[in-house]
Amino acid sequence: MLLRKLLLVTMLLGIFAILLAPASAQDEPTTITWLTLGWPTEAIIEEFEARNPDVSVEAEQVGFNDLFAQIQVRLGAGSEVPDVISVDVPLVSGYAFRNWLLPLDPVFTGDEVEDWLPAAIDAGSYEGTLYAAPVSTSTQLLFYNKGCFDRAGLMPPGADDRLTWEEIAEIAQQMTFDDDGDGTPDVWGFIWEQMVRIYQLQALPESLGGSAIGDDGMTVDGVINSPEWIEAYTYYYNMFNVWNAAPQGEEFWPADIFETGNICMFVGGPWNIPRFANNADLDIEWGVSRHPYFADGVPATPTGSWHIGVNANTENVDAATRFVHFISTGEGAEIWWRRGSGDFPAQQSVLALFATEEEFDALPMSYMRTAADEATVNPRPRAVTVGFLEYEQILQNIFQDIRNGADVEESLNLAVQRIDSEMAKYR
Amino acid sequence: MMRARQQIIPYLFLLPALLLLVVFNLMPTIATLFESMFVISLRSGERVFAGFANYNRIFNDPIFWKSFQVTVVFSLLVNPIQIALALGLAVLINQRAPGIGIFRSIYLLPIAVSLNVTAIVWGLMLDQNSGMINGILLQLGIPRQPFLHSVDQALWSIIVIASWIGVPLWSLFILAGLQNIPPPVLEAAKIDGANAWQSFTKITLPLLRRVLAFVLVADTVANFLMFAPILLLTSGGPRLSTNLIMYETYRRGFLYGDLGASAAMLSVMLVIVFIIVGIELYALRGRD
Repeated sequence: MLLRKLLLVTMLLGIFAILLAPASAQDEPTTITWLTLGWPTEAIIEEFEARNPDVSVEAEQVGFNDLFAQIQVRLGAGSEVPDVISVDVPLVSGYAFRNWLLPLDPVFTGDEVEDWLPAAIDAGSYEGTLYAAPVSTSTQLLFYNKGCFDRAGLMPPGADDRLTWEEIAEIAQQMTFDDDGDGTPDVWGFIWEQMVRIYQLQALPESLGGSAIGDDGMTVDGVINSPEWIEAYTYYYNMFNVWNAAPQGEEFWPADIFETGNICMFVGGPWNIPRFANNADLDIEWGVSRHPYFADGVPATPTGSWHIGVNANTENVDAATRFVHFISTGEGAEIWWRRGSGDFPAQQSVLALFATEEEFDALPMSYMRTAADEATVNPRPRAVTVGFLEYEQILQNIFQDIRNGADVEESLNLAVQRIDSEMAKYR
Repeated sequence: MMRARQQIIPYLFLLPALLLLVVFNLMPTIATLFESMFVISLRSGERVFAGFANYNRIFNDPIFWKSFQVTVVFSLLVNPIQIALALGLAVLINQRAPGIGIFRSIYLLPIAVSLNVTAIVWGLMLDQNSGMINGILLQLGIPRQPFLHSVDQALWSIIVIASWIGVPLWSLFILAGLQNIPPPVLEAAKIDGANAWQSFTKITLPLLRRVLAFVLVADTVANFLMFAPILLLTSGGPRLSTNLIMYETYRRGFLYGDLGASAAMLSVMLVIVFIIVGIELYALRGRD
């Protein structure tokens, strides 16, 4: 009997607790989840929350490859979290095509839109509607270790020089050293920072006049196995397999090896400039020059970076769009650039700070000005296609194969076959 | 009344396990077969009945056939290798020798480590530039091997990794079978003049038939489902040489959002596994 009474009381208390919960929750701030990479997010969240006390932002930070898989699985399943996602810009059309992102046009004023780089607005839009607000853009420079040039008896290039890929091949071989004589170099001449990613490697065929994808955004046959692609990736193959001037094997992050003096040159993003400049323990002398190009071709540079979008199924539309607005415009954009990702901003007002801020007057931070200028030299956006994820990942596998010795033409033909079979579902 | 109650009791005990089996095995299987008949519009998310359209699509897809071929080759290699080694190992550790208990514990250690951790550690050991195996090879005067980056070596590397766990695991079952063979039977054979090989092939193997049938079926199924080392180490490469159907299914369904094709591939695999397991069970059926 006593047990029954006890049970009844507990149940009643439980019911009250449930009924009362929403009332007390009203004073609690709305929590939104932001699925993003491992950037320092504390400052931007703190500043946003100070201005929006009714919203609390939780950053869910994952690795580069995991981010794409998580978006694919969670948004694909119609989940209402995460509320906000960082979007790699070439994926915008694929996400918009699937109706995973909320249209953002009403969120921004005309002035705010005009402040973004025009290329970034186009890249964040699908069929004329903005789905992902521009946050950053990017470019690439050649980073080199001056000590390697001295050791090889060569003159390093100046910040405004632009070496050809042919020259890079030559120099890289002279700056590859096998100090312990075990047959494997201890100091490598060259590498691409994102060694198997189309983001960086597309500039190779583009320099020779190749394209990334057919005009319909689907066709790859005759495009990614064209003579320009074969020539470009034969160069890439030779760097790893014939000239042995770049390391094979697993992917790694070259800046780490550059800092230890085991890589002499790499083509990489300007995010490395503050990294090396602020590294007090760095005991190599380094410099930058412009992005290389093929002697028979034209300079072409990688571009595009991170945008930010709102999950179409979010239950917190207002809070989520407020956060997206904050980080992609004005003051918030500047905070994100200064104390967040440090990537090149997509806002012209923030980009202009490079020219005026004293911080960029002297070396090595003045290299940021070189980078800001390089971003305007024939920037080649990645393929605009609803199937970019498949396109990117298949090419990543293919580049990894070529890097490790697979035949170039055979590999590119396999890429055509694989991408074609994935594109079938969009047709 | 009492009898009826008693008859129900065993079923009540079985009920929780049955429920779990239905929820986690049977229902997803049926859902997959069902899903393979539908196409989801990527644009609107609408599900449309499509009959065998997904099957038609995958049967005309060279990538599916390539991964089918890789899976068949992998199964034809890995299952006999694992079972032969497991049988050999079980016979060895069934010997009565001083310190055999310690050896039995050591060889069982790989089972205690999860397949994911095993895959990652093997990945580090097989690394082309800094891997331990290449370090040993260099000491022996053998040049560096690309292992997971070579079309010719990657599938073999996966077989080694899978067997690292598989061999001790299956040998455990076979060992149990060996210890169930009554010693007098083997002694009788010895007295009748049978040598070691004769008593192994004429007595031990036939008496192990039931255990071997189980091991063969379970090993076949486990290897058909092989996924983690591929995801963690090769992503199906190089040049699709390790692109097992299970990984291709995951890639289609979860990475590229093509659930219809993914479900169709799984259904095809299900049928194939059923057929192969049927053949195996028939071949090793008990005649006693």
